[in-house]
Amino acid sequence: MKTKILLAILAVVMVGLIAVPWIASYFYIFIFTEILILGLFAASFNLVFGYTGMLSFGHAAFFGIGSYAMALVLIHLEWPFLVSLLASMGAAALLALVIGFFCVRLNEVYFAMLTLAFGMMVFAIAYQWRSVTNGSDGLAGFSLGSFGFGLDLTLGNPAVYYHVVLTIVAIASAVLYVICRSSFGMILRAIRQNPERVSFAGLNVRTYRLVAFVIAGAFAGLAGGLIAPFLRVASPELLHWSMSAEPILMAILGGTGYFLGPFAGAAVFVLLETWITSFTESWMLVLGIILALMVIFFRKGLLGTILDWWMEVKK
Amino acid sequence: MIKTSAKKILVAMTAAATIGAASTSYAEEPIRIGGIYILSGSAATYGEFAQRGINLAVDEINASGGVLGRKIEMEFEDSQGKASVAIQAARKLVYSSGVDALIGLDSSGVAQGLVPTMPELQKPLIITHAATPDATGKLCNSFTYRISVNVAQNMKAAALVASKLDATNWTTIGPDYAFGHQSWEFFGNYLKDIKPDVNLMSETNFPRFGAEDFTPFIDRVMDSDADGVLISVWGGDLVNFVRQANNRGFFDKDFELLFTVGAATEVLSALGDEMPEGVHLSTRYWYDAYDNAVNTHFVKAYIDAYGVPPSYNAEGAYAAIYAYKKAIEAAGNTDGAAIAKALSGMSLDAPNGTITFRKGDNQAMVSPNWGVSGPMNPEYGIRTLMDLQIFDGEEVARSVEETGCKL
Amino acid sequence: MSGIVSALLNSLDIGLLLFIIAVGLNIVFGVLNIINFAHGALYMLGAYLAFTLINIVGMPFWAALLLAPLGVVILAVLIDRFLLRFIYSRDIADSLLLTFALLLIINESVRMIWGSGIQVVQPPQLLAGSMEILGSSVPTYSLFVIVMGLLLLAGLWYLFNRTRIGRIMRAAALDRDMAEVLCINTRLVVTGVFAFGAWLAAVGGVVAAPMRALDPGMGDKIIIESFIVVVIGGLGSFPGALLGAIVLGLIHGFGGRYLPEVNMLLPFLGMALVLLFKPHGIMGKGANA
Repeated sequence: MKTKILLAILAVVMVGLIAVPWIASYFYIFIFTEILILGLFAASFNLVFGYTGMLSFGHAAFFGIGSYAMALVLIHLEWPFLVSLLASMGAAALLALVIGFFCVRLNEVYFAMLTLAFGMMVFAIAYQWRSVTNGSDGLAGFSLGSFGFGLDLTLGNPAVYYHVVLTIVAIASAVLYVICRSSFGMILRAIRQNPERVSFAGLNVRTYRLVAFVIAGAFAGLAGGLIAPFLRVASPELLHWSMSAEPILMAILGGTGYFLGPFAGAAVFVLLETWITSFTESWMLVLGIILALMVIFFRKGLLGTILDWWMEVKK
Repeated sequence: MIKTSAKKILVAMTAAATIGAASTSYAEEPIRIGGIYILSGSAATYGEFAQRGINLAVDEINASGGVLGRKIEMEFEDSQGKASVAIQAARKLVYSSGVDALIGLDSSGVAQGLVPTMPELQKPLIITHAATPDATGKLCNSFTYRISVNVAQNMKAAALVASKLDATNWTTIGPDYAFGHQSWEFFGNYLKDIKPDVNLMSETNFPRFGAEDFTPFIDRVMDSDADGVLISVWGGDLVNFVRQANNRGFFDKDFELLFTVGAATEVLSALGDEMPEGVHLSTRYWYDAYDNAVNTHFVKAYIDAYGVPPSYNAEGAYAAIYAYKKAIEAAGNTDGAAIAKALSGMSLDAPNGTITFRKGDNQAMVSPNWGVSGPMNPEYGIRTLMDLQIFDGEEVARSVEETGCKL
Repeated sequence: MSGIVSALLNSLDIGLLLFIIAVGLNIVFGVLNIINFAHGALYMLGAYLAFTLINIVGMPFWAALLLAPLGVVILAVLIDRFLLRFIYSRDIADSLLLTFALLLIINESVRMIWGSGIQVVQPPQLLAGSMEILGSSVPTYSLFVIVMGLLLLAGLWYLFNRTRIGRIMRAAALDRDMAEVLCINTRLVVTGVFAFGAWLAAVGGVVAAPMRALDPGMGDKIIIESFIVVVIGGLGSFPGALLGAIVLGLIHGFGGRYLPEVNMLLPFLGMALVLLFKPHGIMGKGANA
């Protein structure tokens, strides 16, 4: 019964999302594009944080490298969009493999600090390697070519691009969901709760962590590949630690214990930001207060709190 | 192919929006202008000062009957000095707030990102501060205008100043992004043309924008063979730089120093007498350099309102609002493309004289101001500018062919 | 030669300023097991309070050095009593997140109170100007920063090794339950330690004010630097903070001068290498001196 209701809600949300360009004002096409991309970014982060229990402060490295890969491929190679996205994922996965190889050896705060250090190293390289990355200005002025698959889509049209993003994010989320629900995902959760016990069971905790880290990195790279054409620029701020903080906030806001939590968090985050900045310049103050309240009182996040309340009512 | 169909949709949408607007009673609707400036972080004073200039112009215009009988209403967004943020801010202003025109941009990096997207937005943009030559050069388009001096113009003037100095070994200290690098590149090329025997050193200094400690870079220059230094550091960074350079005894050495945006009053009032005497300072506009009715009025009104003389950023923003007033009146409506078209080739009496948006690249032919820092002005607590030179806007500009702009 | 001397002195003055700030972060971590993301914001508050006291109230610098940190200490006690107490027993991620929220709140409040403009504080007359040392001119204020750092270092050493409070702090760091058994009021120790960390951050802010232009982003810049310092030196280690600060000072002083092409990369490279080869820092873990 419960799952049926949830599925029904999900279906309604999906239909609503598909219909955004027709039912909402033009501006909301951009807002929802951003929500979807950042939601995927936050969901990929949650595989590492919510499921495996590792607080990464360098997840923006994969998001950013995905966007740089996209920009570079579009500028120099002019590949079709879908192929370029694969390049974004591949570049991010490779980087995650290298960074993850070192990071998964450490725990807790040491892991957080090492991911921060690697993330900022990537940031520094993008900032100072002007000949390739155009330094702090970033890469701009690239245009989208064909879509791939022989489909004739005008990606420059925001409504078309929105539907492309929606489709890709939906597929990517489904894949992520399957991974989280698989026996692999179960082991990750077991690692979060008690890594010793998992290793006593004869499993190599580090390997599992590394695989989770690489998968998360690849999906963050996919999100980054999607954001570059949306923002029209791939720039170092996409790699900065403050960008790494965003998926953390979104995951906490939405609820780290639920697969859709980060998406809900991204939606709340972006919508609140849009509305609040219309009234006041002090969006960060409001965000800070909300975050403090969430951490202290609603640690399960919005989704978790609502679900709990719903279960309570049903009793 | 892709672009044209996207354009068609956008044109259709704009048309639909215009029809929608026309059916409502348009006389009461204000004209909305969106401002995109840096409103947070270490360069936020620039955004603040631009807002002052804008508010002054808007109040004056609204008090005297508005534009086409409609009031002007401003809406501001923070660019944070980041291209990605500015692009989203522009979308929000155009599609959500429904602004008729855009004004703003403090940073070259932001301009390079935002300018190429202007044709999609179908709204005019007047840049009032960002100086990258590309915005009215290789990235130019029919919706983007600039009312302020660009790097090429200012560096041509800088090279003319430098050519009269004794220094032969030139290096630079500039922020590590488009502005710093392009300043050095243009300065070097122009100076080499005028004075072929100068040596442009390969050892340059580009600390990151927002770096707090410039001492290592200052020491590097002091240890080098340089005798002339082009300094394009600006904003809060310039305040930090000058104070640290003072501590290091940098100004006691015999360098010829050219500060490319040194006479920004934002910086001068923060520094007071810490800004050394006898260095060359440039600004896009110096408040007592122009003897004309518009300037007299503007400076007086500004000082009355804020107690300090206007900065170049305030002036550019103030003039841009009047440029929109004139263009909208010429166009007779607030259609984005029509306003943009009216701006092209338009002349305007601004505080810094009569300026014209050149038809070929939409760059205003404005005059860089260079001077030498003099004694303190006791009233405002800032350095005065001596030996003021007002370069002819037309003369220091690149030819349209040189800009690489094809309109 | 004079180039190396000036780079060395520059490294020392950056290093000791960083030490003052980072040692507070490190003590809070060592004793309370909290990574205070808002530590940089407290540093900024110290600087802005000093600005108000000196430029607006008209107090001398030395009075501001005494008073401004006390203002920040009061705020820190409030933060501890009303916010942090909820999460002391929780996972370290929670404290990171809560203090990150605090950072956002303080940053924005500073912007609302003092505006986003550039503010400047003058050094006191006594410390203005520069001196000649080994053929290179050194700002007198840099020497003051170095002396100030060394004084605090000596004071901290005395505190941890020669006083009862210091021993209690070390005991609480090693085992909070045991400290409680020994009838030490750990509640008071916790508040005291957090306030003390905030005091150090604010002192750093006042000391930094005459060297750096004030803007509402200054806290964000220093917090990552402080992380690097405590990681290189060793999380929770008090002498480690000194070592880490000097190493980072040297990286800045010499990196900016001799390797400007990669100077941004070097601090993080150093941080990563230490974490990989000596994860607990060069000086290991523990609040013992």
